[in-house]
Amino acid sequence: MHAAWTVLAILFGWLFTVATAWALGTLLLRKLSLVFYFWEERLFAFLVGAALLSAIVFALCAAHLAWKPLFLVLGLAIIFYALRMGAHHPRGDLFTPLPRRWRWVFLAVFGTFTVLYFINALEPESSPDGMAYHLGVVAKYQRTHGFPRITTDIYASLSEGIELLFLWAFEYGRHSAAALVHYAFFIALIFLILSYARRIGRPGAGVAAALFTYASPVVGLDGTVAYIDVGITAVLFALFYLLQIWDQDRNPQLLLPIGILAGFSYAVKYTAFIAVPYALCFIAWKSWRARKPILRPILVVSLLALAFILPWMVKSWIEVANPFSPFANRIFPNPYVHISFEDTYRKFMRVYALTSYWQIPWQVTVRGDLTTGLIGPLFLLTPIALLALRFREGRQLLLAGLIFGAPYLTNVGTRFLIPAVPFVSLSLALALCSLEWLLLVLVAVQAIGCWPYVVQRYCSPAAWRLVEVFPKAALRIQPEEAYLQDNLGYDLARMIERSVPSDAKVFTFSQPGTAYTSRQILVGYEGAFNELLQDILWTPMFRDFQPTRILTFQFSPRELRKVRVVQTASVPEGQWSVAELRVFAGGQELPRDPGWRLTAHPNPWDIQLAFDNSAVTRWRSWQPPQPGMYLEIDFPGDQKLDSVVVESSSDSSAAKIKLDGLAGDGKWATIAAAPVESIRLSRMSLRQAATAELKARGIRYVLITDDNIGANDYRSYAKLWGMKCVAQQGVARLYYIE
Amino acid sequence: MTRIAVAILALVLSACDRLPEIYPPPEQRQPQALTPDPYAMMVEMNDPDAAQHIVKDIYEPFGSPWRWTGKQPTVKVLVYATDNVKLSADFAIWDDGFKQTGPLELSFSVNGHSLDKVKYATPGYKHFEKPVLAEWLSADTESTISVDVDKLYVSPQDGAKFGIILTRIGFLR
Repeated sequence: MHAAWTVLAILFGWLFTVATAWALGTLLLRKLSLVFYFWEERLFAFLVGAALLSAIVFALCAAHLAWKPLFLVLGLAIIFYALRMGAHHPRGDLFTPLPRRWRWVFLAVFGTFTVLYFINALEPESSPDGMAYHLGVVAKYQRTHGFPRITTDIYASLSEGIELLFLWAFEYGRHSAAALVHYAFFIALIFLILSYARRIGRPGAGVAAALFTYASPVVGLDGTVAYIDVGITAVLFALFYLLQIWDQDRNPQLLLPIGILAGFSYAVKYTAFIAVPYALCFIAWKSWRARKPILRPILVVSLLALAFILPWMVKSWIEVANPFSPFANRIFPNPYVHISFEDTYRKFMRVYALTSYWQIPWQVTVRGDLTTGLIGPLFLLTPIALLALRFREGRQLLLAGLIFGAPYLTNVGTRFLIPAVPFVSLSLALALCSLEWLLLVLVAVQAIGCWPYVVQRYCSPAAWRLVEVFPKAALRIQPEEAYLQDNLGYDLARMIERSVPSDAKVFTFSQPGTAYTSRQILVGYEGAFNELLQDILWTPMFRDFQPTRILTFQFSPRELRKVRVVQTASVPEGQWSVAELRVFAGGQELPRDPGWRLTAHPNPWDIQLAFDNSAVTRWRSWQPPQPGMYLEIDFPGDQKLDSVVVESSSDSSAAKIKLDGLAGDGKWATIAAAPVESIRLSRMSLRQAATAELKARGIRYVLITDDNIGANDYRSYAKLWGMKCVAQQGVARLYYIE
Repeated sequence: MTRIAVAILALVLSACDRLPEIYPPPEQRQPQALTPDPYAMMVEMNDPDAAQHIVKDIYEPFGSPWRWTGKQPTVKVLVYATDNVKLSADFAIWDDGFKQTGPLELSFSVNGHSLDKVKYATPGYKHFEKPVLAEWLSADTESTISVDVDKLYVSPQDGAKFGIILTRIGFLR
């Protein structure tokens, strides 16, 4: 009985979200008196409505009004109002029926894969990113009924347009309802491809392209879990489609849904920002060619797009002082995301585990291990799609595919090709539309070749793909806990939930399934504060991180108002760090006076770490050393000094420093061009000092998995760390700092 | 309308406080005040994680709080400080084995440096403790302790060889 209620709740959460979005969209489209074909209206209504619903949820979250009863009342009101306005009555002409052969091909392949995909979407959510952050942030918003200020999780700063729709569904059906909402976008995408092809009079090509996309392994898996890649693809395809209709009709009312979808693209995923310039350039070019006014349509689309973009920028600006967080940290320096993180992240995303870009075609189509997933061998035929250039529609499709696929250059994961897949599919099908038998063969090849049982015969075993589905788990005949019990992320989350008090924070190097725990998790790389904790925990284990380099500036006694240790070298990689900065007079260290004013450039927010008398904390530049970086002490008055000591580590030995001073005459002068360096090894283990720092920052729990750096050290010397193991689950141990 | 726009603008601007960039010195840490568990550098033979420290010649405990050793029981341990550290070991020489081997000479060494040689002329419980030079130790890498047993007891039943019965070994401070 419980299983039945769970499944019903999931289905309700899903359908309620889709219905609310569709109702909102239909109301808008009808209000604008836009006339589409029957199916087009329904598809556009869902996507435009999704954008509107997402904006409504954003406003509710911002006002901390994201309550389940309010969602219910609001949703039902929207649906009933739309029904009252006759939204359910069909409007628009039907397309010419599909040719019989193509209809049966579509029904057979689409139906077969739909069974597979629906079961997968209904299963308890176990996707890595879905559990970690797409639903991790959703669960946080659900608990707090709004946007809590999150400064320790880069993913919470990304735009989350579709995640807010997940939240609407999550309130009722939890994780699986969210995955099904994503699946609704997937279905919409497939029918959009088909509809567009029918509109341009190529139904056979439409069926083929829709099925090329639907069967694609990476699209199939991504679109049936709580990710957003297929969702954004549906939005982008709808935008392309509307622009094509506008190009035919020049109906100014179409500019409203176009502007909404262009803005919603950014609201769903930063990389889809490219949709905005694409739409604007398209409209400007076509208007100019037709000698029509340019400014007005551009303004309409721009303003509407901004209405969907700006809220996310403002949210990030208020929460983490950077409207484009976690990127653009050089332009908007802030204490929440390090520049070094951004550099490393960008670098990794551009290569993954590839050794050569020549590996990409084979990886993304056939093997799928180094780039996380495969789109299917059929797409090795992509060059043939260029034959579609002979059609106007083909040129438009290829241009859009090229533009929406461009962000792939910043992230070579196969998922980042998904926005281009429908365009390539349709171009390929158009290119071959005169050879119907060949298209049918290709559909068969794609459908059979992408069936999970067949895929495993040629892809890498490590490829991210749908392996099999579990109907019993989907229907909750097998309980969720039993189904997920071998999933490490889920196991870690449940262990944390069992062993950690509700108000405690857990630091970890590995990402647990955050969506399944209510505890605050700080993952090592996911924020500047987290990276600091990571650095503290690594310092006792790595001599290179320890303050063993003693850099002494000795000079004749003099009175100074300010001193600056200035970095003078330009180093392409690495960082400059200072564990302690001490000043001396007459051989005695001057005690740190509360009247001192300390600052640094860059990263002034961490300057106190160089003045806390702790060997495990250090100020770091968190970007490659550049001339002009400095640490500064501003004394309350003239201060007599004769030496300055900088305690640094050997991992920043490439940095070069000098000492500048500001005397009473108000002029800066170099006091010493270079320090004398000596080495002083630590005679004490720094382990307990490290955990004491975590404790001082409110962290009492540390989760370590066997693959983490130093896992054996924590295990063997827990007492030296001042910790005890309070829970263990497979390869993971949860430590409590005593 | 203008008033609403001004109010919204004021609200947005008030939400964007500039982050401070100048700070006073923070609370000073006192590293000397940190006193780890005095037995944090000892390897207890009944500790479930003892195997992490054992390098060689120490057998499985078979449910007992002690373990038989072989010829050169060796463990690795991390010290939390290098000064004022003593090597400490608690072990026993088995009565029946002693009848076969007679007095045993045990050589204690740390990181390859010979610390002491002790001759035990009687069986039973023994305790060894001796200061270790700070120069022999490192606070960030594990130190190796080994005990060389000069004569082994050979079991008449199966020919298995045994050294001493080890309960704990490591450093104290």
